[in-house]
Formats: sequence, structure tokens, C-alpha cells
Amino acid sequence: MAANAGNKIRNAKVVLLGDVGAGKSSLVLRFVKGQFVEFQESTIGAAFFSQTLAVSDETVKFEIWDTAGQERYHSLAPMYYRGAAAAIVVYDISNQASFIRAKKWVQELQAQGNPNTVVALAGNKADLLETRQVQIEEAKTYAQENGLFFMETSAKTATNVNDIFYEIAKRLLQGQPAQNPQAGMVLSQRPNERVVSSASCCS
Amino acid sequence: MDKKKGVDDTEPGPAPSRPVDRFGFIKTEHSNSPEGILKSRSTHEHEREERRIRKWRKMIGVGGSDWKHYVRRKPHVVKRRIRKGIPDCLRGLVWQLISGSRDLLLMNPGVYETLVIYETSSSELEIIRDISRTFPSHIFFQQRHGPGQRSLYNVLKAYSVYDRDVGYVQGMGFIAGLLLLYMSEEDAFWLIVALLKGAVHSPMEGLYQAGLPLVQQYLCQFEKLVTEHMPKLGQHFQDEMINPSMYASQWFITVFSYSFPFHLTLRVWDVFLYEGIKVVFQVGLALLRFCHDDLVNLPFEQLLHSLRNFPEEATDPDTLLPLAFSFKVSSRLVELDKEYRKKLEGPSASSSSKRFQPLKSRVMSRASSHVSSSPNVSKK
Ligand SMILES: Nc1nc2c(ncn2[C@@H]2O[C@H](COP(=O)(O)OP(=O)(O)OP(=O)(O)O)[C@@H](O)[C@H]2O)c(=O)[nH]1
Ligand SMILES: [Mg+2]
Repeated sequence: MAANAGNKIRNAKVVLLGDVGAGKSSLVLRFVKGQFVEFQESTIGAAFFSQTLAVSDETVKFEIWDTAGQERYHSLAPMYYRGAAAAIVVYDISNQASFIRAKKWVQELQAQGNPNTVVALAGNKADLLETRQVQIEEAKTYAQENGLFFMETSAKTATNVNDIFYEIAKRLLQGQPAQNPQAGMVLSQRPNERVVSSASCCS
Repeated sequence: MDKKKGVDDTEPGPAPSRPVDRFGFIKTEHSNSPEGILKSRSTHEHEREERRIRKWRKMIGVGGSDWKHYVRRKPHVVKRRIRKGIPDCLRGLVWQLISGSRDLLLMNPGVYETLVIYETSSSELEIIRDISRTFPSHIFFQQRHGPGQRSLYNVLKAYSVYDRDVGYVQGMGFIAGLLLLYMSEEDAFWLIVALLKGAVHSPMEGLYQAGLPLVQQYLCQFEKLVTEHMPKLGQHFQDEMINPSMYASQWFITVFSYSFPFHLTLRVWDVFLYEGIKVVFQVGLALLRFCHDDLVNLPFEQLLHSLRNFPEEATDPDTLLPLAFSFKVSSRLVELDKEYRKKLEGPSASSSSKRFQPLKSRVMSRASSHVSSSPNVSKK
């Protein structure tokens, strides 16, 4: 971190992973544009967004990859999570299957991802209390056991949406205290330090 | 009118009567593209359009009876006219003729109905989840459980039964939705079969199979073509670590039916159905060429933004398509296809060239064998 001490803007690559319809795109749209649409088109492939966030005297610029949730698109995901400074694994609190899928993503990140990646677990659609299927305690325990930080969010009401990104930014700037003081290194200024796997399909 | 759709209450609500463009999409402030609005045409233009439709009707014959004959006699006339755009009122019919789906339909009476009514699919829930998220801004698909959503569901479900290996894949919905605006469910279903199984052109099912093999292949070929036709841009992409899967995967997966202006989508489909997948490469190259001088100066982030939000001038079909056709890619694509396959399969592969031929006969036998091989289908 000391390397770019002169510059207060840090780039951080964030990837959103999670089941179809969990609300990945909606969270990003809420965070980036402050909007919510009732019928958000499904994401095909992946979509890129960016947004800056000020954390005390520093600014983090998020480069956000919003991925497609369907299992069939799984093969495209590693390119987006590899080298990401942070990952938000999203499930829908009104859908148990999406929580199971979220756990699979966490496992995959633990196995294949960068150990420095800050992983957040987002229980989205927190406004749908009447149809809740995933208990908050269950998710909290799971997050603790796996070293993730956890929030219930609602893209619809905007609850905790900025907060989750703020928390990520803070952790990135501090480095992950628990295990990894070096996590901040993933933040980078120069494009060629950006660790998107550019491994071309042909080479 | 049903009003509980679209935007949530924190947004300034849309006007109560919602104006739609000439394709049925609900207008937003952003989508006022001149093409989308019903233009008041001069009498002269109107007459020209009438003449054009008459020509097309003659070419097609009653219910398509003269089409094959005409195509055989004057393929270049057909190609030229299609490139100018199929008249909207004949589009649905012509699409079925040029894609070969009409023949499939006629050879398989009753099959579609059986797939929809008697079979069940493990993809049903997944399809349902996506139904209201496919062209959500089009009036036909907006009404919950309305005719649009129901037919979209039926077509997708039928396909997921017809080919259980492929099942349902996100992205198919946009293709099915596009087709349903121009033809019946059953016609749309057979057109998808024609495309994915390869009735006239090489089969496209690899776009949707596990591992998305054809997406990978096309992106790889596209990357090569970019570098060959626009070396400076190719180099810039490399420097900025942009690879085509970041911006072009949906171009292939949905054949430009996802997040492109609809009038462009239609014109691309006219040509794509007649000339094949190379059109997607050509249109992609044309988009890059059109914006080339801007793109080569943009850093990563703006670059990605620009590759997802092309300016209106770039998506005008009358500009973009001629530019697209100026890229000669057919023979190079065949070479790249061979190269790619060789790399994948190792030196011993030889059966690969099959894939690049139209496989009409194979589809036919497959489509009809489905009728006899599936017990549920034959007892009706
Ligand atoms: N009630 C409620 N609905 C939400 C919330 N977030 C998203 N949705 C709805 O859930 C549906 C799916 O949301 P998306 O954001 O498209 O989901 P996604 O995870 O991006 O889905 P894919 O792109 O298909 O992988 C949309 O219709 C949203 O309107 C939320 O916080 N509350
Ligand atoms: Mg999405």
C-alpha cells in the first residue's frame, strides 16, 4: 500500500457471484446508479460497471464484474474472480436453493481463488421477510466459520447496499486483519497490474 | 391497463399511458432513436415501400410456394434484397423460409404440441424464473402470465425437452422472444431447432452446450479477426487486457438480440438467417471499426463502457450493415475453424470438417427420428 502513497485513488476489482435471480445485477445497479427495476433482464455473459467510494481520506474505485448466474455459464466465471480484490457472493433470502449455490461459490473461491480476496456474503432481498427461507442466524454462522463477512441487503429498498461496498473498501484499505496484511496489494493503479486473466482462448 | 410493472416507487413514475415505439417496446427517455418512432412518411416513401412489398410478395409466392424456385434461380437478387431489409409485414414468413424451419415444421406435425403438453422438463423452474426478465420492456411480454409470457415459456420448455442435453440456457429467451414477435409458438420453436441443429448453416447448439464450446471458439476467432483487420485496436485491447469475452459473448449467444436497438437486431437477423453466423462476426467488426478511432485512445474502463454502449450512429443499420459486409471473413473463418479444431482435438482429428457444412439431411432425420423414438411423442 505504501507504494502508491502519493495517490489517493485505489482501483479494486470486485466480482459478483451467485444464483440466477439472486439479485447480483440489482445490487450493482443500486450501488452504481441508485436505481431498482422490478424486472431486471437476466445477465448474459458478464457486465462491467464502475463506481467510486470515499473511505476516510482515500477513494476506492470499484471495477465491478457482474456475472451470469446460470450454472451453464460457470466456465466463464474464473476469468472474473481470478485476481479480484473482493467477491460478493449473493443469495436470495427467500430461496434456500440460492443459499446452497452461494456456499458452492464460496467453496470454489476458497479452492481456486486468490487467498487474499475479501469475500462478502450478501443475503439479498431482505425486504421479502414474509417469504424468508434462509434464517439470518444460519447464514451468519456459516459466514463466521468461513471467514466471510456477511450482510443482509435489499437492492429494492437500498438497505445495506452502499454499506457492503463500504465495508469491502475499508477491509481492502486496511488489509484483512485476521489472516492477511497483504490483501491491500491486490488494489492496483496500473492497468497491467490488473489481474484479469487475459489468457486468451486461443493461446 | 396493467400498471404494476417496471420501475419501483422511488423512481419518478412513468406517465400513466405508456407510449410504445413501433416495435412495441415501451419508450424511455433514452430510447428515442429515430428508427423506433413511427416516422410520418412522405407519400413518395410510402409508395416506394408498397412497391418493395409487392416485389417481395412476388418472390415468395402464396404462402412461400415460389420461394425455393426463386432462390435457386436468382440467389444474388435474394441476397441483395435481404441485405436491404425484409419488409416487416413479411419478415416472419421469410425468416421461416430462409432458415429451413418451415420444412422442419411440415415434416413433424404434432411434435411441438406433444413436447409442450405431455413432456416435463427439469428446466421448468429455471425458465419460469427468467420469463419476466426477457424483454421486460416489451408490451407483449410484460403482462404476467399473459399470452407473451406463456408462449415464451412453452417454446423454451419445448426446446429443453427436445434436446435435454442442452436444456434451457439463459440467452435463448431473447432469441425465442424475438421470434415470437414475428411468428407463432410452433414456428418459433422450429426456427430455434433449425438454428441449433443446423438446418441450413452449421449447427449452433455448441453456443449452449456445457462449457459453451462454440462461444469459446467464436470469441477466439473473433479476437484473431480483430487483430487481422484492425491491428492497432487489437494491440490496444491486448495492452489494456481486454478480451472479447468481456464484451462480445452476448453478441454470439443471442445474435445481437440482447441489449441492442431493436431495429438493428431485426436487420441483423434478416441477414444472419440467410448468410449464417459469419454475419455476427461482420457486424461485430463493423461496430469496432465504426468506433475505432475513439476506442484506440480509451483506457480499460472507458473502453469497456464504450463496447457496451455504442453511439446511435453506430447502430444505424443502413450505415452499419454496409460496413459489416465490407469485411470479407468467410474463407478466413473456415481456416480459423480448422486451426481451432486441430488445436482442440490434437493431430488425429479428421471428422471435424463435417461441422462446417449445412446438415439439412441430418437434422431432418434427427427431427423425425425424435417422433418415432420417443414413446411419449408417438402415442398421441
Ligand atoms: N424484492 C426484491 N427483489 C429483488 C431484489 N433484488 C433483486 N430483485 C429482483 O429479483 C430479480 C432478479 O434480479 P437480478 O438482479 O436480475 O438477479 P441476478 O442475480 O443478476 O440474475 P442473473 O443475471 O440471471 O444471474 C429481478 O426481478 C429483481 O427485480 C431485492 O432486494 N428485493
Ligand atoms: Mg444479472
